Amino acid sequence: MTDMKKRPTADSKLVGHVTTMPVGHVTIADRRQFLIGAGTMGAAALALGTGLGIRKARAQSRAEISFASAAFFGKETFGDLIKAFNESQDRVLVKNIELPPPSSSTEVYQGLVQQLARRNGTPDVFSQDVIWIAGFAAAGWALPLDEYFPADKRSAYFTGTLDACTYDGKLTALPWFMDSGMFYYRKDVLEKHGGKVPEAWADMATIAAAAQKAGDIDFGYLWQGKQAEVLVCDAVEIITSNNGAILAPDGKSALINQKGAVEAIQFLYDTIAKTKISPQDVLSWDEEPSRQPFTSGKAMFMRNWSYVWPIAQDAKTSQVVDKVGVAPLPSFPGGKSSACLGGYQLGVNANSKQREAAIELLTWLSSTETQHRIALNFGLAPTRPALFEDAQIKKEQPFMASLEKVFTGATARPKTAQYAKVTLALQSGISKALVSGNVQAEMDALADQITKIVA
Amino acid sequence: MTAAATLSGAGRPRRLGKALPSALWALILLTPAFVSLASVSFYPIVNGLYLSLTNTSLITQEQDFTGFANYAQLWGDAQFWNAWWHTMWFTFASTVLETVIGLGMALILFEAFKGRGLVRAAMLVPWAMPTVVTSKMFGWLFNGQNGIINYILLHAGLIDQNINWYGSADTAMTTIIIADVWKTTPFMALLLLTGLQTIPNSLVEAARMDGAKGWITFWYIRLPLLMPTLLIAGLFRALDAFRVFDLVYVLTGGGPADSTETLSTLSYKVLFSTLQFGYGSAVSTAMFITEGIIALVFVLFLVRQIRRAQ
Repeated sequence: MTDMKKRPTADSKLVGHVTTMPVGHVTIADRRQFLIGAGTMGAAALALGTGLGIRKARAQSRAEISFASAAFFGKETFGDLIKAFNESQDRVLVKNIELPPPSSSTEVYQGLVQQLARRNGTPDVFSQDVIWIAGFAAAGWALPLDEYFPADKRSAYFTGTLDACTYDGKLTALPWFMDSGMFYYRKDVLEKHGGKVPEAWADMATIAAAAQKAGDIDFGYLWQGKQAEVLVCDAVEIITSNNGAILAPDGKSALINQKGAVEAIQFLYDTIAKTKISPQDVLSWDEEPSRQPFTSGKAMFMRNWSYVWPIAQDAKTSQVVDKVGVAPLPSFPGGKSSACLGGYQLGVNANSKQREAAIELLTWLSSTETQHRIALNFGLAPTRPALFEDAQIKKEQPFMASLEKVFTGATARPKTAQYAKVTLALQSGISKALVSGNVQAEMDALADQITKIVA
Repeated sequence: MTAAATLSGAGRPRRLGKALPSALWALILLTPAFVSLASVSFYPIVNGLYLSLTNTSLITQEQDFTGFANYAQLWGDAQFWNAWWHTMWFTFASTVLETVIGLGMALILFEAFKGRGLVRAAMLVPWAMPTVVTSKMFGWLFNGQNGIINYILLHAGLIDQNINWYGSADTAMTTIIIADVWKTTPFMALLLLTGLQTIPNSLVEAARMDGAKGWITFWYIRLPLLMPTLLIAGLFRALDAFRVFDLVYVLTGGGPADSTETLSTLSYKVLFSTLQFGYGSAVSTAMFITEGIIALVFVLFLVRQIRRAQ
């Protein structure tokens, strides 16, 4: 058995994990042929030959499917993960199709859409950014998973993630790993100004303004106002925390010009123009430009993703090591803290010819064991709340373990098949409101535009 | 040809050569070039034109012929016209500035001075840099918090607080134009320098002997003779500037408030973010048509110039 386990590793080193499977076949078959023909089999060679022979026979009876995902890296790759799955059982053999890294999200999206649009069943299983789920479901590319994952199995996941995986009442994706917006604060500065992490936006603004006035800090609050996807995330969070919404629950009309949403966007505008706790620069900042002043010790509060944490704790890149805390984002009176959901979820190709095998891979990838492995080896947070209590994760990824509270408030971005068009309209409309300050007028125009797209 | 004719009767294989008229030979020899050009240039253009007449979208899976529906939508699309005007303004401003400054640089580099070769080579450095690198560099130069431009202006007393160059709708486009001028002026200077070198020195010398000063010589001798080069260089530059993409994409992504959206970035978003190949092709075709008109204007001027010279 040990012999068999080692062999694929050796092969994959030669040919790379993407093509491990087919090339492996040829080599093994040839080698066996050679060994038989030579007629000089020693005991060791016999054992090897037979071992490989069994493997080959097994491989032929295995259901062959493919898995496509954006390429994440850590202590291992998704290719290694797939290899582990292939070795863990003998019913399904998975071929890994590697797409570009998540930083080239547009290219990953294109690559996936082109393959799915062919409707030939490749890839059988794929991972998808939360914002693509509705589009894939509406196009009929994603298989509804309700029958395979009934309510009792679903309750093991965060509700926000499940919500993002549901389109038109059907579960069309399975939660995999997640990230969300969160509230970073400077413990040392906060100590001088009450020491209590603000839970209301108004308190946050007051404390930030006081700290700025006292000269303890240059900037009170940093967020991301660049006309880009991240602006939509910032907007979703603040609007939801005021009981507002971008789209109506049926997804057929816009609510962004209603009171809750307008007040929230007005608050963002005021951080620059009125309370002046944010520099005007946030209007051209996405994640990194806003992260830099924070980790160089110039800002008190910041909204950002989980990637900031390791940077802030690294003395080489940060002036604020051990001075940073993380909490759920504040909310408005009567509202609940909300965090924009990010991360990748799993889906099954509706045209897959190997449905059962695909479901088996899907189940394995999203299982507690695999999510545990992904958390430790990739640093990507699990979508199962129970894992945040895991002793090993608590020990090796203490920051991740502390995020359960933040992720509980995870909120999906508007769920619509037309998301790609909606987000461009949102980016442009919200940016206009933040630049001009005519929030109500810009939101009215934006609502008209969005309603036209989704109606 | 005579050699070929004499040889052609000599042996069997050559009869084939004789059988084919020379025009056909030319055609056969041109075929590889034609096929490769047609497949990479002509076909995509025609296919793009066809796509612009359909509602092709990878998301909705539609692919029906819709006639001019996309163009009707385009005509009423405020975002398109917003991007169209920005692109025109960018093209006009950057081409004019680059031509004027480039001409100045060319005139200086034309004169003999010590270390001229070195300066000429050094001048080309900005142009040789990849645009993405230039974009990042200008991103830092004009950075609202730590940028050196703000630092200098602040300490010179010209501004009383930091300006957020890329975050304000009033300054973002201007800043992008400055970056483009810095990058591409050397290219203009180089083209104009070669133009200056084709002007016979005897004409300038004759003018000087008649007592013409520097300015007069430039205005009545060099500039008119340089005109065709100026127009061609301007045409190159304008067509190139019209396609501006990398600077905008890296520096602002089209924001804030759509104030730097250009046709290239808009068509990229429509084509590759929303995957509406039909409508996106219509945007690209509109771009193509506008470029055609710009080229036509330049060529008309050029033809007039050449006629006048004759």
